[in-house]
Amino acid sequence: MSDPNFWRTEVWHPLTVHFPIALLLFATIFKLVSLFIRQTKDTFWQRTAAVMLYFGCLGAWVSIYTGDLADGIVSRNLCDPTVLKQHEIAAYNLAYLFSAATVLDLGQRLNLIRFKPKGIHLVVTLLMLVGIWFLIRAGHSGAEVVYEQAGGVLVPTADCAGF
Amino acid sequence: MTNYKSLLLALLFLLPLLYSCEQSTDVVESGTYAGTLHEVEPEKTEIYVKTTDGKLLELYFTESTTLTRNGETVAFDQLKEGGQVEVEVEKVGQRLEPIAVRIVE
Repeated sequence: MSDPNFWRTEVWHPLTVHFPIALLLFATIFKLVSLFIRQTKDTFWQRTAAVMLYFGCLGAWVSIYTGDLADGIVSRNLCDPTVLKQHEIAAYNLAYLFSAATVLDLGQRLNLIRFKPKGIHLVVTLLMLVGIWFLIRAGHSGAEVVYEQAGGVLVPTADCAGF
Repeated sequence: MTNYKSLLLALLFLLPLLYSCEQSTDVVESGTYAGTLHEVEPEKTEIYVKTTDGKLLELYFTESTTLTRNGETVAFDQLKEGGQVEVEVEKVGQRLEPIAVRIVE
């Protein structure tokens, strides 16, 4: 781990993962607010939540792809790779949940789903809330991998050679 | 209201299924274990072995890992899902390092 090249394969994961974290977190907050404000699907809170949800969901799958690339490199050096496995499981769960929320929300927005709009809105919000729980778990275990086990982190040599 | 309840109930039943989508792995003591190849990932030179006592071991090959069949060294692509193997592992922290993987006919 003394190669000073920044653009290592495992670096793409932290570069991509923070966008969906922020987008999905704020999408859920906006969606929750819209539950308590009487609105139609085309008003500010709903539209903003939808846009953040769609891009956040896409970002989540991109992050899973980059995480999978990093996995093969990082796992070999960890003292406890089971934490990384828990991180991976939480990441897949949140991606499935937000994908389900995206499909339902998009289906309703495109008038493909006309069944009980308020019920669908509630289910989408619940899916996102459970997704946030897995997002927190994924974030926590991801931080453990990085800050406790130096996963994907370049550890300079004692004499700082290469800098 | 019944429909809402059905939707919420469906959501509740969905949650345990999410855990089954991805299976967590186990850590065992250093030693030799017999089992079945549950998954083979050639890009990462990684295998998952389901041991006879139901444990799932995730093993990343290292430069020193040996892979043999009948005592002869074979390439990684000889590992097939469902195949029987015997693995010798060393526990380093909570990481399992495969010392030797033997394909059992």
